[in-house]
Parts: sequence; structure tokens; C-alpha cells
Amino acid sequence: MSNLIHPDFNRSAKSASGELGIQALSKQYPLEGKSLKVLDNINLDILPGEFVSIVGPSGCGKSTILRLVVGLDADYQGRIVLDGKPITSTSTDRGIVFQDHRLFPWMTVEDNIGFALINTTLQPAEKHDIVARNIARVNLTGFEKAYPHQLSGGMAQRAAIARALVNEPKILLLDEPLGALDALTRLYLQAELQRIWIEHRSTMIMVTHDVEEALFLGDRVVVMQSNPGRVKRVVDVPLEHPRDRASPVFHRLKDEILADLIGGGAEGHAAQAEAYRRPRAEAGAGR
Amino acid sequence: MALLTPVDEKPGRPRFLLPRRLKGWVLPLALLLVWEVLSRRSHAYALAFVPLEQIAASLLEVLRSGELFNNLLASLGTASSGLLIGGTLGLSLGSLMGLSRLADRLVGPVFHTVRQVPLLGWIPLIGLWFGNGSLAKTLVVCLASFYPMVLNTYEGLRNVEKNHLEVAQVLAASRWQTYRHILIPSALPFIFTGIFHALAFSWISTIGSELLFTAGPGLGSLMQTAQMAARMDIVIVCVASIGVTGLLMNVSFTRFSRRLLRWRPTR
Repeated sequence: MSNLIHPDFNRSAKSASGELGIQALSKQYPLEGKSLKVLDNINLDILPGEFVSIVGPSGCGKSTILRLVVGLDADYQGRIVLDGKPITSTSTDRGIVFQDHRLFPWMTVEDNIGFALINTTLQPAEKHDIVARNIARVNLTGFEKAYPHQLSGGMAQRAAIARALVNEPKILLLDEPLGALDALTRLYLQAELQRIWIEHRSTMIMVTHDVEEALFLGDRVVVMQSNPGRVKRVVDVPLEHPRDRASPVFHRLKDEILADLIGGGAEGHAAQAEAYRRPRAEAGAGR
Repeated sequence: MALLTPVDEKPGRPRFLLPRRLKGWVLPLALLLVWEVLSRRSHAYALAFVPLEQIAASLLEVLRSGELFNNLLASLGTASSGLLIGGTLGLSLGSLMGLSRLADRLVGPVFHTVRQVPLLGWIPLIGLWFGNGSLAKTLVVCLASFYPMVLNTYEGLRNVEKNHLEVAQVLAASRWQTYRHILIPSALPFIFTGIFHALAFSWISTIGSELLFTAGPGLGSLMQTAQMAARMDIVIVCVASIGVTGLLMNVSFTRFSRRLLRWRPTR
């Protein structure tokens, strides 16, 4: 199996595991008898402990990449390799946070997070400690016994983050986790995510619509384009964490990426216009 | 418009100055009053509308002799054993059909055909096969509680959110873990509706089967004996006991399910 490791294997000093390699990844859906290509030849190497943001227009397949990496869909061409092992199904070494919190409404916060540990051999007391620690990590101490409908959107999303973190995954996937929240909660949770990432130092990949959010958190920002979904550009963010949103470099990068996404020449316009004209393709891709 | 209408004055609706809890008693008391008035009209009327006083006396009589208690206990026994067996079987078949497409295709058509036969339609067959004792009665109750459990469990499992199943998959939960921790709790509101209906049907069918299969004790049998002896007062005591027992079952189950489903947002 070791010969499967990608040639430009580049081990970071930060942490030993959580290296993700995506090679020649393509995927299509059948649509009205034809096959619709949603991902076309994606190549991406993500270092252990790195935070990578993915931005792109609707329908560019960015969420699909996360679904493939987490193992919810095994129907693709190409290779996805985590620490040298090809991904074949879901596993607790990969965690994911979705846009909707997806907490189970019949379980309390504590039980929701504890459920992620269902296949561990821990003693109940140990389990309880780990859950309590992760609740504290997302600042929800005091809400252990609350049911999801009693929480605000931001609190529910924090509980969902704790559930994804409780297994100490090598890689955490964030699928527009702050997309459904109000602006203020969003800013607050961006800072929280950053704090958690700095403490935790696992690899994280976040899909977002918000360029500023992508730049605030990401070591690199992958800019995608649609029809078919492919990588347009990968932007390095040469700024120290935590980032100053007011810095000139931050602004320059934001303008550049926005230009890529919106004003990206005739081709970009056409692609985006196409993406909006085909809502059904988007629905398929977001399945 | 708003300027013309004072804010704190609702348009003229008469308001009854009765505490909320007491309002439920108004109609029953009025009916009792009408009953009593009718019973006092003439001797002939008093045969159909037995005076309340006489009913109370008969109630005391059957209470003292233990007749009411023993027969009620027998009826509750039939109802609960039928509900337990029929309900468990219903939950199992509903789960099987809800979880496996193959089972749904194999069993579904037969189930839905058999379901069309009304419960009373089975009585002659059950009578011929199993006699008219407690086995036959329990079987009728089993059938009565079986159908709503199958249908509601099936519906509940079919309505489980795909998003929740994906989370279970991401967390690498096994099939059994997913059934136990995701599918069943998520179908629970439906299953409880099933139990609620099964409970009502089991009580109704218990009394019905006791009237048709007359061997052995039960409120239905007591009622029939009373009818043959032209004891209208005891018939009425039986009818009232059946109603009150049904109501108590209903209320206590509603309380219980509200407690168990407390995770749901209050509507």
C-alpha cells in the first residue's frame, strides 16, 4: 500500500497525519439520460495541519468534493488518498460539519456529541469526560442537557462542530458550516473555528461562498469554476494567523479572488450564467 | 379602522365566567339533567331512562359483589395481552416493510389485501377455528392493534430524514446502531400515533369480541347477561365503565407520550 503515496509527498513538521491527496478526480451524474460532469480532473495536495478554503460559484462541485472525501459517495474516477490510504467509505478519522447542523432532535447536546463515540471502546466515565471537554471547547458548557430545538442556530452549529471533533479526526471537512447564520454569529464563529484549528492543528478543508471568510481562515484558497467543476486557481495567503481583515494584502487578495469569481472574463461569466440557468444540475450536485 | 376601534376592547363576544377546567363538565351535567327529567316523565320512560338514583344503587351493588371489578379486570387482561402481542408483531412487520424494499414488495400486497377485510368479517372464521373463549377474543384484539402499528411504523420509518442517516453513516454506525438510535427514535412520533390508535382499537375490539364470544368473564359478557335479565341499570353501569376506562387509557397514554417525546418543539 505504501507505493500509493503521491510522489510530491511533503510532510509538515506541525503534525504527523492528515495529509490528503486528490488526484485526477472526476465525477458525473446522470441527468435526463445524459451524463453531467460535475468534477473534472481535480488535483489537490493538502498538507497535514493545513487549512484550505474552497470558494466557487454555485454548482461548481465544491460540496461534492467534500462528500467524496468523507466517503458518502464512492462513485468517482481518480484517487483520494488520506495518509497513504485510499478512501473507500466513511470512517471516524474524517469528520464533517454540514451547513444545516444535523443534530438529532431527540438527543440532548451531550447525547448528540456522545453518539459520535458509539464505536469506541471507552468506559462511560471516559466518554463523559471527552464529551464534556469537547462541549467546553465550543463554549457550550451549561447546555449539555438542552435539546437542539432549544438552541440558537449558532449554538447548534457549535454543537455540530463538537460532534465532528470528538473523535479527533485527522481531517475536518466544513461544508459551508456558517452559511445559514446571521452576520454577527458568523464573525464570532469564524474566530472560534480559527481558535479550534490553532489548538487542534488537524487538517481542515472548508467550502464557503464568502471570500473574506475563506481568506480569514485559509492557508490557501482554492478558487473553482463550474461546468464542469474544476480548479481555476490556488491562492496562497502569506499572512500570519490570526488575520487582520483590514490589512492591505488581505484586501488585495479578496479583490483578486472576487474578480476571479465574478469578473473573470467572458468565460467566467458564461460559466456562471450557465450555472444559474441550470438549477437542476446544482440540485443534483448538492445531493 | 384601527383608529376607530379601542385597542383593549374585543368585539362583543359573550364571555362565560367559568374556569377552563370546569367547562368540560357542562355538557355531561346537562345530559344527566335531561336524563333525569326524562326518567321522571312516566313509568314507560323510566324503563328506558333508568333513574340516576337506581343506576347509582346498581353501581354499588356490582361494586360490592365484585362483579364489576372482576369483569373489568378480565376485559383489561384481554385488551392488554392482545395489544402487547398484536402491537409487537405490528411493530416488527412495519419495521421489516419500512426497512427492506424486498420485504415491502413480498409482504406489502398481501398485507394491504388482508387489511381490507373488516374486523367483524373475521369473527365467523375465528369462531370456527378457535371457539368462543379467551383465545378467540385475544386474537381479535391482536388483529385490531396489529394494523395501525404496521401502518404507522412503516410510515415513520419511511419519513426518516436522509440527512440524519448520512450523519450516522459519517460516524460509521452499524446497521443495528442506526436502527436503534436513529431510525426508531425518528419514527417514534409515528409509532406513538400507532400505539394510540392500537390502544383505542384494542379496547373497542375487546368489548366487541366479548359481546360476540360470550364464554368467560368480561364487561361485554356482563352487559349481555344484564341485557337478557332486562337489567337496564347494569347495562348502563357497564357502558359508563367502558367509556371511563377508555378515557383513562387515552389520557394516561397521552401524558406518557408527551413526556417521551419532550424533545419535540412545542407547537
